[in-house]
Amino acid sequence: MLRTPLSIRKLFAAAIFGFASVIALAADKPVSKVVVMTSYPEEVVSRFEAAFEKAHPGTRVEILWRRSGDALSYLRKPNQGNVDVYWTPAQRNFQILAQEGAFRRPELDMTGLPAKVGGFPISDPAGFYLASEIAAYGLAINPQRLQDKKLAAPKQWTDLTGPEWKDEIVFPVPGKVGFAPILTDIILQGYGWDKGWALLQAIGSNAHLLGQGGANISDDVRNGKASVGVSIDFFIKSAIANGAPLQFVYPGITGYSPAHVGIMKGAANLTAARAFAAFVLSDEGQKILFHHDIRKLPVRPAVYANKPAGYYDPFEAAKAMPFVFDTERALARQGLNNTLYDVLISNEHARLRQANDKVIQAEHAANTAALKARAAQARSLLDTVPVSEAEANMLAPQFVFAFDETTDAHRNDAITAQWTTRIRQNRERAEQLAQEVLNASGKQAGAQ
Amino acid sequence: MKLRRVIGYLGVLPLALLFLLLSGAASVDTKALSGGSATVFDDSREAFSQASPVMDQDNLATFVQGRNLFRQSWVVAPANDRAAGLGPLYNRISCIACHAKNGRGGAPDGPDGTMQAMLLRLSIPGTNPHGGPKPHPAYGDQLNERGVPGVPGEGIGFLIYDEHIETLADGTEVTLRKPNVHFKEMAYGTLGADVMVSPRVGPVVYGLGLLEAISDDTILAMARQAKPDGIAGRVNIVWDAMAQKEAIGRFGMKANVATLTEQIANAFHGDLGITSPLMPKENCSKVQTACQQAPSGGDPELTRAELYATVFYQRMLAVPARRDVNDKQVIQGKRLFVQARCIACHAAPLRTRPDAALPALSNQLILPYTDLLLHDMGPGLADGRSDYLANGREWRTPPLWGIGLTHKVNPDAGYLHDGRARTLLEAIMWHGGEGSYSKEAVRKMTTEDRTALLRFLESL
Repeated sequence: MLRTPLSIRKLFAAAIFGFASVIALAADKPVSKVVVMTSYPEEVVSRFEAAFEKAHPGTRVEILWRRSGDALSYLRKPNQGNVDVYWTPAQRNFQILAQEGAFRRPELDMTGLPAKVGGFPISDPAGFYLASEIAAYGLAINPQRLQDKKLAAPKQWTDLTGPEWKDEIVFPVPGKVGFAPILTDIILQGYGWDKGWALLQAIGSNAHLLGQGGANISDDVRNGKASVGVSIDFFIKSAIANGAPLQFVYPGITGYSPAHVGIMKGAANLTAARAFAAFVLSDEGQKILFHHDIRKLPVRPAVYANKPAGYYDPFEAAKAMPFVFDTERALARQGLNNTLYDVLISNEHARLRQANDKVIQAEHAANTAALKARAAQARSLLDTVPVSEAEANMLAPQFVFAFDETTDAHRNDAITAQWTTRIRQNRERAEQLAQEVLNASGKQAGAQ
Repeated sequence: MKLRRVIGYLGVLPLALLFLLLSGAASVDTKALSGGSATVFDDSREAFSQASPVMDQDNLATFVQGRNLFRQSWVVAPANDRAAGLGPLYNRISCIACHAKNGRGGAPDGPDGTMQAMLLRLSIPGTNPHGGPKPHPAYGDQLNERGVPGVPGEGIGFLIYDEHIETLADGTEVTLRKPNVHFKEMAYGTLGADVMVSPRVGPVVYGLGLLEAISDDTILAMARQAKPDGIAGRVNIVWDAMAQKEAIGRFGMKANVATLTEQIANAFHGDLGITSPLMPKENCSKVQTACQQAPSGGDPELTRAELYATVFYQRMLAVPARRDVNDKQVIQGKRLFVQARCIACHAAPLRTRPDAALPALSNQLILPYTDLLLHDMGPGLADGRSDYLANGREWRTPPLWGIGLTHKVNPDAGYLHDGRARTLLEAIMWHGGEGSYSKEAVRKMTTEDRTALLRFLESL
């Protein structure tokens, strides 16, 4: 195999390289830029980047990508790391940065941009950072698998507690999947602390617990690993828009997770920064959220007039929402909730399942008032949360925020050990009671 | 699982067909199986993103890891993040920025458009020690428009199009646009008059495991085969950096890379500035001192296992099945595709080797519509930049499988190496050199025949 002689190639190349007119255009208008920090995936970033640059010729978007957990330290660097705009779904970061005085007021025209969805505040009440989109939570459903398993499509969180749902649910662990802490607190606030944790335990007992990769829930449900995936909406809505044979159900009780845009106090490219923030919030920018690959919920109600068929309108849905989700409360106790979820559900998942199975059997077997009362006692023990809401709210500040590495990771070991002991005792006693019910009713613990 | 692996060694097409039949897809037509057993029946916007049906589920975790790396937005070092290591100089922050949904990228529409899915290859006359392109002394072998904080991006490339009209036999006019590359804000001095520049959009990344599994003998046989009407085709011989020897090139737009692993390592390095065991040094030239001093995200930034996972992911991305294979117009279009000699270069079917590195990809009868050979495509498409044996007019025949789903997957995608063609007809009308016969044949077609030909292409 011979090579083309070098000299021929050189001659050839020299003869035709002029096709590409390589001209340095010194007279060209210099390019301005805006430095944007974000954790959005490429699908979101590239669409906004392209649309913004088209709307503002001569201004380039420079993306600095950081996960939310790693962004704070970067933005606390001298000159705020030369970032002009922070634009991302990370409520906690915006809250902390605003408290630290990291933002300047955007001074944008907010006409048509409400600060609340229903009663739920989405933007900073002080106006330093603004909601740029919201996401809601619900259930990804594989209709084919539901049909195969003869399961009725769930409409509410409470529809997922029965034994027929065992191994048919994927549920994200809040300490490990970024969107799950808010989801957990939506259930706690929507149903109340005790009932909410009981519900989370019952669903968790049935579920495959997802320790990472919240974006992959649609894969798990699509591939038939489960019939239902508990998820933030856009992962699933985007998969559906791109052809996945799934459905998404917004339960009556849901809440919203807003993303925000804020202009950094030290923004060196202030004009471009304002232009970028304004674009994100503009009609044009908000409509980008409808894209198949994004499917987030705009914060500008007017754009819903042109929403794709079947698109969820949170402003409309809020009219029927039975409660108003309190983000501040959720963020304040996020660390505690994550730990409590692990102690109650993740850490001893098999043990939870075993106890729950037995209590369910006892509930079915109980055939007298006395046995029913005993089964109810077993259920009550199983559902008992080792810490009341009031205590939890008090303890919350000492719990490590999931991404904060500056505090001692073991400082809450003693208290979580106490919770674990209490839960184990309750489960043991619940199983004893359930066994008593089964013995008395002539049924044995066994297969479901 | 063991049974599947055993069958995999024997070639899994019969099993796949049996599976499809048993699973109710009794109407499966082998003409639709573009990737043999590695075909997926999905014509959605995710058609290029599905795992091959032949993949052993034991390897799912590796596939998912590769997918995550391919989708990863990389982070400027130092960072408390496994994905630290972007740059110091780079084009985009993720693989999928240029290969949206594993499909083709697009070109900017004019001088104000940024190169979101395009890069500019650079070289100067001469060759590197292995006979490949000689990188520009200051800018290397591609323009990295962006730099991490403290490292100036290399400059900005932009396109100004020249347009001309091609008139077809039925009077239809096709407007063709030719990109002219311009530069501004060059941070490391002028490029010089002798620089050779080649704009490229991101190509598709599915089916690459199958192309890798085509034997050298098959490629050489296609090169030897006599072809009519001025069509030739020759192999590129390139330096295989892994084997440290010369090898037949089969990846890259000029068949300028021998292995998929090297192709991916090059892209990580050149496009993202991510070092790997194969490309362990940061992408800084001698004059780029800030680049040289910038923090690194690791040594290397991509581990051997991560590089392998990314390679495995691309090897196992399935090829979408053809649609409408029994449609009369599609059948007529296929006949015209052969008559117009398109098939002489866009070759199908081919069979993969019996001993492919991944046994599941062995012995597959596939329809890639490529011969993996270099062809002179005439002055209209010439970039004037040689690459090993490929001269400035030669390009590797690009595979056509899945091309009918291009715009469904990414409406912004463009055809040909630089995305200049907005439609398949435009792409055809750019053919020159060895493709002249085919182009003229299409020009002379009746409206009905041309529509049928395009319908066939849309069915791929």
